[in-house]
Amino acid sequence: MEAVMETKEGEERKVIWAIGGGKGGSGKSFITTNIGICLSRLGGRVILVDADLGGANLHTFLGILPPALSLSDFIKRRVADLREVLISTVVPNLRLLSGAQDLLTATDTKSVQKQRLLRSIQKLDADYVLVDLGAGNGLHVLDFFLMSDGGILVVTPEPTSIENAYRFLKSAFYRRLRHLPISQEAKRLIDEAMDHKNELGIENPFDLLREIGKVNEADALRLTEEAERFHPNLILNQVRTKKDVEIGFAIRRACKKYFGIHVHYLGYIVYDQEVGQSVRKRSPLLIENPQSKAAQCIAEIASKLADGQSFFVEGTRR
Amino acid sequence: MKRVEDQTYYELLEVSPDATPQEIQKAYEQAKETFHQDSLAVYSLFSESEVEKIRTLVDEAYRVLMDETLRKEYDQSHLQVIASQKREKPLEVELSVKEKKTPSLIFTELSADTSGGEYRGKGLKLIRERMGIDLKSVSQETKISVQTLQYIEEEVIEKLPPLVYLKGFLKAYAQCLGLDPPKVVEEYLKALGPIKKK
Repeated sequence: MEAVMETKEGEERKVIWAIGGGKGGSGKSFITTNIGICLSRLGGRVILVDADLGGANLHTFLGILPPALSLSDFIKRRVADLREVLISTVVPNLRLLSGAQDLLTATDTKSVQKQRLLRSIQKLDADYVLVDLGAGNGLHVLDFFLMSDGGILVVTPEPTSIENAYRFLKSAFYRRLRHLPISQEAKRLIDEAMDHKNELGIENPFDLLREIGKVNEADALRLTEEAERFHPNLILNQVRTKKDVEIGFAIRRACKKYFGIHVHYLGYIVYDQEVGQSVRKRSPLLIENPQSKAAQCIAEIASKLADGQSFFVEGTRR
Repeated sequence: MKRVEDQTYYELLEVSPDATPQEIQKAYEQAKETFHQDSLAVYSLFSESEVEKIRTLVDEAYRVLMDETLRKEYDQSHLQVIASQKREKPLEVELSVKEKKTPSLIFTELSADTSGGEYRGKGLKLIRERMGIDLKSVSQETKISVQTLQYIEEEVIEKLPPLVYLKGFLKAYAQCLGLDPPKVVEEYLKALGPIKKK
């Protein structure tokens, strides 16, 4: 039997990345799978977690049939240890925690179960854990995003995708602040801010901090510090032109002005027909066609994540 | 975290206080690209009035920082503020920024130019002069004769080279000034469009 206790050392070395971004079809699962392959090829022990509880299909990206055991067995306590659900893949060093298969569990996982799942994920023995989040900005998705060491937004250069990503980012931003031990009054104001048509006229984080400062200056200061530690990452997918590439930088500038936070632009992935081919063949692009342009873009991003101490920002994990 | 209204001109343009005019020009181009009306990057994030406000502030920052005298004055009243900020005296900083903030002046030259396509000849000339680059240096770098450069800047249509060459020249000139070549070509030719089509 394996040691139940994880070594402290192992835990510290591990990096958890959560891949989200609001909109479905932006390429989150595709990117998660292929970055995972790159990281495992670079020598890391990688676990992919399919946290898209409503529409899990990471296994399909890896050419695996729906496994017998999945996250829902853990959530429903049919298995006690998350590690029992881990399955190996064709790629050495790459394992998968398959997402829930049944329709029931989709989004109504209880908070207690979610906490148990989050804790277990944080205890997994690996160098990298990549959590593939579902679409939307439900509380589960946000909490997975926020518990990670680095949250990655996948965005395509289209207004719909960008709109969803901003909505996601705003929700994550406010939820992160709300987790802090602050006064009830301040929490109420944060809730107020999330209401688009709030009566106080709070349109952005600065307005919120101003309002909180009026009732509790210490809270406002604490929230400002917390906000400044929030450094989400960005990947621009399906890029077709040089102008598209620039949108990543523009998003970074816009976020700086709107939230006052720094978004890391990890890189972009060019639009490549090979991607669709590989998905249809249920064979990951990095295996099917590692020479393709999109594969090379992904490899570049993965290598940044691998030695990316610069992208690993302290205090992101809560 | 600072509201745009409280940011220094350098912070507004996201350049360092010792940025060169080229760097400022580039940063300004990027800011304009980011905060223009149809920009994808601001879509659904800001209200229209917020973007408008950012644009106004960015324009003002650019105007001041590209003018040697104005920049010096600005630095004198603000740079120690920026420096002291790094030494963490946030309260003092906030106060002095507010006190010393000059009321925004109406910018005549550039705003007049931007309204009618910034990258027409006159606009290019203005940008070049703000950077303190003379035509001779441009000529040396681009291998375009001073005479031709002048024609381009003055838009002397009958003296301009055939379209293919003109495009190449505009690209080289734009590059030399650190501008976005395709954009310069497009805007310049669009302005010229009705007159010159070959």
